[in-house]
Amino acid sequence: MSQVSLTEKLIAIVRRDVLTTVRYRNGFLLSAVGVFAEMLAFFYLARAIGPSFRPEGVDYFAFLVVGSGFYTFLITGVQAFLSTVQEAQQTGTLEVLMTTSTPAPVLVFLSAFSAFASKLTNLVLFLVVGIFLFRVPLLHPNLLGVVLIFLLSLGVALALGVLAASLQIAVQRGSVVIWALGSVWFLTGTLFPVGALPLPLRWAAWCIPMTHALAGMRGALLLGRSTAELIPEILWLGAAAFILVPASLGVFAWVLRRGRREGTLSAY
Amino acid sequence: MNAVVFNSVKKRFRHLPALFNWLGRERGGATEALRGVSLEVPAGKALVLLGPNGSGKTTTLKLISTMLIPDDGSVTICGADTLRDGGEVRRRVGFAVANERSFFPRLTARENLDFFAVLENVPKTVRSARIEEKLSLTGLADAADTLVMKFSSGMYQRLGVARALLKNPEILLLDEPTRSLDPGSALRFWPFVRQLLSAGTTVVLATHNFQEAAAVGDRIAVLRLGEVRSEREFGRNASIDDIKSFYFNAIDDSDVAPVFEAAP
Repeated sequence: MSQVSLTEKLIAIVRRDVLTTVRYRNGFLLSAVGVFAEMLAFFYLARAIGPSFRPEGVDYFAFLVVGSGFYTFLITGVQAFLSTVQEAQQTGTLEVLMTTSTPAPVLVFLSAFSAFASKLTNLVLFLVVGIFLFRVPLLHPNLLGVVLIFLLSLGVALALGVLAASLQIAVQRGSVVIWALGSVWFLTGTLFPVGALPLPLRWAAWCIPMTHALAGMRGALLLGRSTAELIPEILWLGAAAFILVPASLGVFAWVLRRGRREGTLSAY
Repeated sequence: MNAVVFNSVKKRFRHLPALFNWLGRERGGATEALRGVSLEVPAGKALVLLGPNGSGKTTTLKLISTMLIPDDGSVTICGADTLRDGGEVRRRVGFAVANERSFFPRLTARENLDFFAVLENVPKTVRSARIEEKLSLTGLADAADTLVMKFSSGMYQRLGVARALLKNPEILLLDEPTRSLDPGSALRFWPFVRQLLSAGTTVVLATHNFQEAAAVGDRIAVLRLGEVRSEREFGRNASIDDIKSFYFNAIDDSDVAPVFEAAP
């Protein structure tokens, strides 16, 4: 019976990641500067296009801030977790971590969670700067809807992170997941509405979780859609999380067992 | 009672061929790391593994720690099978790995140990005291708040031992534990291992150092090409020369001759 709770373990992992991040001082500063630079670019892009362009009925600048901010959060979370796994492989820490008294699937899920928590700071900064400095208009946001969409999107992204880690351990190419997510960004409604795409691409867009995450988040935060109106996105993301979270942990357990059999846990 | 039992253990590493193998020199095939090894280590005793490079010493330790699982045969730790009951095995085994860099470089020694102590389920009430104790035991108390990226190889190695001891393991695995230590630290390390043995800890140690084998081992096994070539009980007063001759009788000249020969 474990004498250390899951919360304590999560805090230890988050603490490790926060300390590591802040001790890379330059990287931390550059990422903060990057937020302002991106915001400025969006501001002038929206101004150049003009106020008459209102995708999905919202101000284009607000559309960009929420779309890009949330999409970046989800992708960089997956990327941060993958980097943690890659570094652990290179230093040999992964093998040691996989032989501690904490079961490997628990450890990997908590580590993925921590990677997303570190990127949450960027998302909050992005939204705070957007709302207070650049006056992104919010019309009665549905906070319950925001939380629901956020948690379900996080669940899906966590699962994608665990799948990327599994690929990294299995074939040392977890970056394929990042590449795939990066390649389909234009379908997800990040910079322009999905409705602008031809019909076959709209079907493809429907299959990507980020499309529903962004549509749900914009609906709840910018349009104040009620929770009932958000049900299509909630159902889609809920079903994806329900399937992907256990599936990704199953794949990870299988890959780990294979790594222990082949002796490739630290191969990179 | 035996703390560690290897029963006809085989371990084979497949060389997975590269995707575009014809472009490079890599070929498929496999390395037979262990070929039916059987070993027993009684609780509270030390088994020292000697053997040339690639003989299977580290593989043996990794199989005990569950970093690897056997292809054939079984490894049992205090009655728990490493394949079926890995969690139970991991609770009992501490492993000071040979890879000195297996820490988080931008955390201090204390922060690293604190992180691993949580994962090893060391209760909060005793965690700080336990960490201080291990830092002090390994001579790292003064460097506790230094980022480990600034550590020397020897300091890394001592931190590895401190980490392995965090959960007060029943079985301690040491992979070349004094390789990077200065001679004085090594001389102090061996009596420390004997103290752990007196307290009931079982030790399995892989080394190339005959002095270390003489100082620590109750029993010595010589591995060669994945097989136990010879195994013997040695008394506390075994001489280094006895162990040397035991070792060289067990291995072939071919293990020694091809390396570091002067060019004609």
